[in-house]
Amino acid sequence: MSEPSAMGNGGDSDAAVRVDADATRATGETVISCEGVDKFFGDFQALKDINLRVGRQEVVVIIGPSGSGKSTLIRCINRLEKHDRGRIVVDGVEMSDDVRNIQEIRREVGMVFQQFNLFPHMTVLDNVTLGPRLVRRWNKKKAEELGMQMLERVKIPEQAHKYPGQLSGGQQQRVAIARALAMQPKVMLFDEPTSALDPEMISEVLDAMKELARSGMTMIVVTHEMGFAREVADRVVFMADGQIVEVGTPQHFFENPQEERTKLFLSQIL
Amino acid sequence: MTQTDAARAAPDQTRPPPWRDVRVLRVVFQVVFLVVVAWAAWWMFNTVRTNLRLSGLEAGFDYLGQPAGVDIRDSPFRPSQPVRDAIVVGLLNTVRVATVGIALATILGILVGVARLSSNWLVRKAAALYVESLRNIPVLVIIVFMYIAVVLRLPGITEAADIVGLVLASNRGVYVPWGEATGSVGVFLVLLGVALVAALVVAAWRTRRWNETGTPHHRLLWGGLVFLALAAAAYAALSAPIAITLPTREERVVEGGIALGPEYAALLFALVIYTASHIAEIVRGSILAVPKGQTEAANAIALSGYQRMRYVILPQAFRIMIPPLGNQYLNLTKNSSLAVAIGYFELTRITNQIIANGNPAPQSILILMGCYLALSLIISLFVNIVNRALSLERRT
Amino acid sequence: MSAPLGPTGIATEEPVPPPEGAGLPPRQRLSPGQWVRENLFSSPANSALTVVFGAFLAWAGYRFLRFVFVTGRWEIIEVNLTNFLVGRFPRDELYRPWIAILIVAFVAGVGVGLSAQRGRAGTWWTRTKPAVPGLVLLAVLLVVAQTWTPLLLTAASFAVAAAGRLLGARLPLRTRRWMPLVYLATILAVFVAFTGWGGVGWDSWGGLLLNLYLGIAAIVLSFPIGVLLALGRRSTFPAIRLVCVFYIELIRGVPLITLLFMGALALGFFLPVGWPRPGQVVRAIVALTLFTAAYVAEIVRGGLQGVPRGQTEAAKAIGLSPVATTFVIVLPQALRNVIPAMVGQFISLFKDTSLVVIIGLLDLLAVAQVVTQQGEFLGQGLEAETLVFASYVFWTICYSMSRASQRLEKRLGVGER
Repeated sequence: MSEPSAMGNGGDSDAAVRVDADATRATGETVISCEGVDKFFGDFQALKDINLRVGRQEVVVIIGPSGSGKSTLIRCINRLEKHDRGRIVVDGVEMSDDVRNIQEIRREVGMVFQQFNLFPHMTVLDNVTLGPRLVRRWNKKKAEELGMQMLERVKIPEQAHKYPGQLSGGQQQRVAIARALAMQPKVMLFDEPTSALDPEMISEVLDAMKELARSGMTMIVVTHEMGFAREVADRVVFMADGQIVEVGTPQHFFENPQEERTKLFLSQIL
Repeated sequence: MTQTDAARAAPDQTRPPPWRDVRVLRVVFQVVFLVVVAWAAWWMFNTVRTNLRLSGLEAGFDYLGQPAGVDIRDSPFRPSQPVRDAIVVGLLNTVRVATVGIALATILGILVGVARLSSNWLVRKAAALYVESLRNIPVLVIIVFMYIAVVLRLPGITEAADIVGLVLASNRGVYVPWGEATGSVGVFLVLLGVALVAALVVAAWRTRRWNETGTPHHRLLWGGLVFLALAAAAYAALSAPIAITLPTREERVVEGGIALGPEYAALLFALVIYTASHIAEIVRGSILAVPKGQTEAANAIALSGYQRMRYVILPQAFRIMIPPLGNQYLNLTKNSSLAVAIGYFELTRITNQIIANGNPAPQSILILMGCYLALSLIISLFVNIVNRALSLERRT
Repeated sequence: MSAPLGPTGIATEEPVPPPEGAGLPPRQRLSPGQWVRENLFSSPANSALTVVFGAFLAWAGYRFLRFVFVTGRWEIIEVNLTNFLVGRFPRDELYRPWIAILIVAFVAGVGVGLSAQRGRAGTWWTRTKPAVPGLVLLAVLLVVAQTWTPLLLTAASFAVAAAGRLLGARLPLRTRRWMPLVYLATILAVFVAFTGWGGVGWDSWGGLLLNLYLGIAAIVLSFPIGVLLALGRRSTFPAIRLVCVFYIELIRGVPLITLLFMGALALGFFLPVGWPRPGQVVRAIVALTLFTAAYVAEIVRGGLQGVPRGQTEAAKAIGLSPVATTFVIVLPQALRNVIPAMVGQFISLFKDTSLVVIIGLLDLLAVAQVVTQQGEFLGQGLEAETLVFASYVFWTICYSMSRASQRLEKRLGVGER
């Protein structure tokens, strides 16, 4: 039985460590840390004792069945949901009820939504430059320069003066990515970014995300796109019923999953 | 053989006999329908004419030139003037109450609507109480109540209540401050225009500074202050060309200010508070109708609460609001017709009086309906123009 | 709690034993002091608002309660209660309204019992809360009535309703299909109770009874007209569409009072010479029906637009004629979608029935104004009391109906299909 070279600590521990010789992206510095995070919706517990550390420039892909808490988890990271127990620390700032902390964290964390959520009453360029101009207080020229750069990065600079309603789904999502990037975040969160897209538009968005990963952005991606996970992820996290069930490198995960729950899920989707 | 050759070679499609041909049947059916409707209309018209003649009333519109015999309070109208003049006076009175009512109701409605979303529990509940009470009572009941149980209960003119030193309330009328030209009003208005332009220039300058440096523009504040300062300067320089006269009472006579008749005051007040309760619900509903994802996206790029409202939520809520708001304006205008119950001489009351004086009813009511229809169309037109101007570009 | 670092320096996740009390939601209750601080005084602006509003509400509340319980002279209501409720209805025929109430109570009970079979949503309190204003009004009326007969008859109505509920809970679920017809039959039965066997013609009906009658008659009669107008507006025949649009836009552009005037003053002119001139109530119903039909048409049109086009296409594909498609496939779905809007229209119509005071009918509002002219009460300025009472009755009925409509909306949203 061939063991993937990534298996450093043996295959029967819950966690596997990425020992890849190509350890270019791992720098060891923790950007996001979740310790013992619980989240309740009324009596229903959506997150059960989540412990997760994400290192700088790491790409973490979270997969799992619906209702497993994956979206809830990343929404807790930028306070779109409020966690009930445990600690969440982003780039040294602890997430609490302190408005200043929340705002600081939100400035450094960018989010891309499943439903894009572009502002329909503004042009594409205005969507992208709104954050830098209002929050970082940049002047219009600097903001638009950066905005166009970001639009070029996602390969739709020519749409800058159109309105979101005039764009296709794939283009809208790429604008959403550019909007998040324009804030120059340290971390990018993706909440099922391709789930609302027609199949022929998924690849253009995934390409943008892959380019982002290659350029060294720290990313947490909730998705069903297994190809993306295999290709780009440094670590894959499998969640079910509000808990982290298994974590590992893509090789470990897809070729040698340990937990029964993981095997069941993979058998259903692959 | 090419395809076109084959097509030419095929026989003509057999035409079905006319009584089964769908196209013929459609046309015939519609013609029959129109004939029936036209016949019914003609028959009705004829019946009305016959009945009018039998009752000794005329069947045409000549009566409009006859003396109205209507005595209209608080107006220079004389009963000897023709009927059509009376109708015009009524129309103007309707417009008077409708325009002021729409303006005041919108302001109050927006305030209450926003209050219903306040983070302050007391404010929220008070606004909800206001809305839920007034929405469930017929507007006529409110109008009658305001007139009989409020305005008519106000103290007599000799003991008129003085509200915050500005408004005199009595059962003969409500007197509010008004302006009076005491100097060169024309010049003052021109100077106000200049002040407005200056304010716009300042706002543009602040916007340019925002574009260049990124500091918040606060242009409304700057523009507003500049306008007020220049207006005050012009006012002083021209030594008060317009005086605000406060109503003051001397025995039974009131000097200054402007008088709102008791019927007008009651009608206006009732219409404003009733319509405002509906507008408040529309405002609240529109803000809530903005998709939650917009709030989340705004939060995700770290906009503050105020910035989120100002740049993301309110612009979208405003667009959603326009059609139902227009509908409420139509309702207010139509509800003003209920003044007939309290004797305010707007259009419906005057028409009622005209009919009571022996003029033919069908024509008079038709004219009445026509006037309201015209008003409705005008308001709808405005609303549609605004709606179209604000509508968002869609992907074709 | 430091996790071991692997060779690359990335922290690993080790399973940490869950802390005590895990699996239970944390205590969320705010203490009263905290609640007040957060909701009322969270900022200087908020505190100022709380003080100002609090003072104003306290003052207004005090004045209102003082009026209701201390200074108000409610004797006029006590003396005239029957007038308020039924106008000039002959006093020796009052058993008829009571029979009608018993019939309605029974059928309502059956309806409630049937729908309770599909499970009850919420707690006992959330289910009873909407009925509270109605029950309060009932209590007020009984207190004002001060005689035993109404009390006994009201108790009998509740008993009958409870019996109906028991029956409804036992009926097979199939019978739900028939309930709309049952409701229609109930309306007819009520009508017969009033007018059958040498009954009381509707020209003698007044007060709240008249408002209810006008509202129900208008909504029932305007319904078929409105549906036809809606279908006509969507017709592919331009001629029909034009006529329907013309009617709808004309009616919606004019105030209801103009139509009531037309009915009251001019309807006679539209009838051929020999025909009898209709009474005032009939004229009002005609005007209200024609008015409501236009609004019902717009509501139904919205419902028709909500039915997916695929439904018509499927019907055509199996060979249904256009008429059958409309009435068997499209219309039932459209109507089901617009039930909440229709209830809203009825509430609106019920409020509009108060306008008949202007054309001389003796409805609840008219009674409120007229009884102050009675000999013993003349000139005492009792309009405030009577109008407040009339407002209160209107408010309770409209508020209860609108709450019921909201619950209906929620229920239909969950839906059985």
